[in-house]
Amino acid sequence: MILLVEDNPDDEALTLRALKKNNILNEVVVARDGVEALDFLFGTGAHAGRDLALMPEVILLDINLPRINGLEVLEKIRANERTKLLPVVILTTSNEERDKLKSYTLGANSFIRKPVDFLQFSEAIRQLGLYWLVLNQSPPLVKV
Amino acid sequence: MGAESRSSVSPPGRQYWKIAVVVLGVTIVAATGLYHLARLYVLNEAERNIQAVLLTHKGLHRYIQEVMHPVFYKLRAEGLVADTFYAPEIFSSTFIVRNQHKAYNEERKAAGLEEIYYKMAARNPRNPVNKADALEEKLIRMFNENKEIKDYREIVRIGDKDYLFVALPFLVNQQRCMKCHGNREDAPLGLQALYPGLGGFNEKAGEIRAIESIRAPLEQQYFLLYIVFGSSFAGLLVLAGLLFFNGRLRGMVRTRTHELEQEVVERRRAEEEVRQVNEELENRVEERTAQIAAANKELDAFAYSVSHDLRAPLRGIDGFSLALLEDYGEQLDETAKGYLGRVRAGCLRMGELIDDMLQLSRLSRGEIRQQEVDLSGMAGEIAEELRRGAPERRVAFEITPGIRVFGDAILLRAVLDNLLGNAWKFTAKIEEARITFGRKEEGGKDLLFVRDNGAGFDMAYADKLFGAFQRLHSLQEFAGTGIGLATVQRIIHRHGGTIRAEGEVGQGATFYFSV
Repeated sequence: MILLVEDNPDDEALTLRALKKNNILNEVVVARDGVEALDFLFGTGAHAGRDLALMPEVILLDINLPRINGLEVLEKIRANERTKLLPVVILTTSNEERDKLKSYTLGANSFIRKPVDFLQFSEAIRQLGLYWLVLNQSPPLVKV
Repeated sequence: MGAESRSSVSPPGRQYWKIAVVVLGVTIVAATGLYHLARLYVLNEAERNIQAVLLTHKGLHRYIQEVMHPVFYKLRAEGLVADTFYAPEIFSSTFIVRNQHKAYNEERKAAGLEEIYYKMAARNPRNPVNKADALEEKLIRMFNENKEIKDYREIVRIGDKDYLFVALPFLVNQQRCMKCHGNREDAPLGLQALYPGLGGFNEKAGEIRAIESIRAPLEQQYFLLYIVFGSSFAGLLVLAGLLFFNGRLRGMVRTRTHELEQEVVERRRAEEEVRQVNEELENRVEERTAQIAAANKELDAFAYSVSHDLRAPLRGIDGFSLALLEDYGEQLDETAKGYLGRVRAGCLRMGELIDDMLQLSRLSRGEIRQQEVDLSGMAGEIAEELRRGAPERRVAFEITPGIRVFGDAILLRAVLDNLLGNAWKFTAKIEEARITFGRKEEGGKDLLFVRDNGAGFDMAYADKLFGAFQRLHSLQEFAGTGIGLATVQRIIHRHGGTIRAEGEVGQGATFYFSV
């Protein structure tokens, strides 16, 4: 399972298209802002009662998000016992130094800048999927 | 002014001590002067008394000799007086004068005056009363031996009193005197009978027979009071003068001190004003700095949002154009596909422009961290990277070693990246490309330069080179956004340096800069 946290519907569609194009058929859960993402991960709000044994193999996290931004989401993920080991890939338009610094400081596993060129973007998504869903061994589920 | 202010600082006690010294000095000098004056006066007084006595005696001698003697001789010639008659009381002028002086002294005493001693001193007198004492004898000898000496004076002390003692020759033996004072046997019989001894006889003509020895008291005790009063008065006068001028001086010092105090107050006020102005300025600077910081922060936020928000739609445009091409390609003719290609190219170019613009803005805002930077080493690295990027190209890099400057390593790296990257780019169509990084002296200043033998440029447009988004070549000829040199210039200016370009179309370009 992939958790895609993305507020821009264009980017969402393009990301899903790129995943599909590259034959990455894992389930994709889309959260359109930080609150939704956290609700999904912690089984709260709209996702109350969700089976928390199911956790995404990778979280693709945008930084600029309504309500709670991506960096705050990351901070909360790392602060929670249940989610602190989840691989988080920052997928953003920004290439600001401070965003990179903050992301890695808060414990991001990777930082990818979305290229304007869709072919490059698609290639990035392909490699991402290959690495995190196929090559990478997920961390063991933390029992709380 | 300096002396005044100094005197105002010295303690008043010391000043009075000085005044006392001055007054004492003046008093001593005045007393000495007055003492000498008094002495002179007393001596003159004694001298005049002596003179008066001597002149009186002289007049008496003359009267006796010129008036009385002729009468006596006439009476004798007329037989009215016996030839043998002789009485010194009415004949001898010295006898008469001596006794007259005795009476004179008695009169002086009666009048409360001191006696004036007078003696007709002779070595060989007829009357032993006139016998010279040791000093007088010596003086007679002296006057005889040296006829030039007309008198002798000396201040002598008898008992507790001082006297002016004067001695002067009285009688020089004349030929006519020899009648009575020559050989005794030749003298008149009456005289011989009267004076049985040798006194007054056997004198020699031309010799001094007798001197007048006279002694007048010096009445200086009366002057002691004058001296004391006079010198004290002088001292007091000086003291009064000193106190008067001291008072005036103090007044002046007071006035000046007051003026200086006013000045100090004035100056303090001015200083206070300056301080206030400074404070105001500082406040304003602080305010401005805060404003600038706020503006920078806003700019920062703006750039941040640009980098996010402006790029996202581009990705949409590009992505969905590609989606169109991929998913509906068979329904589109070649022209439509071409248009979509142009849409995508436009997106990519706009993405580059945004990236470059953000870099320019970022480089212009960040803090400059000064450190020593090895530019030669940096240029070498960049050349390596460029070669790796296009290994098929043949480009000769000439990099002068050991060029080191003080500046921000990241920013200077961007300068060399751009200049060397440009040189690389614009020599792409040259077979024997040559890129030089070196140093040159110009007008006493160290200039660095990057030179290539590439496309060059028309000097007419040299001023447009460094403007943002200004390009001198078409995109088809050479790619680029036109931000690079604007960035370079911004960085050089931020380092306090200058940059200029020289070139000619087809002959390459040289960029001179200083850091």
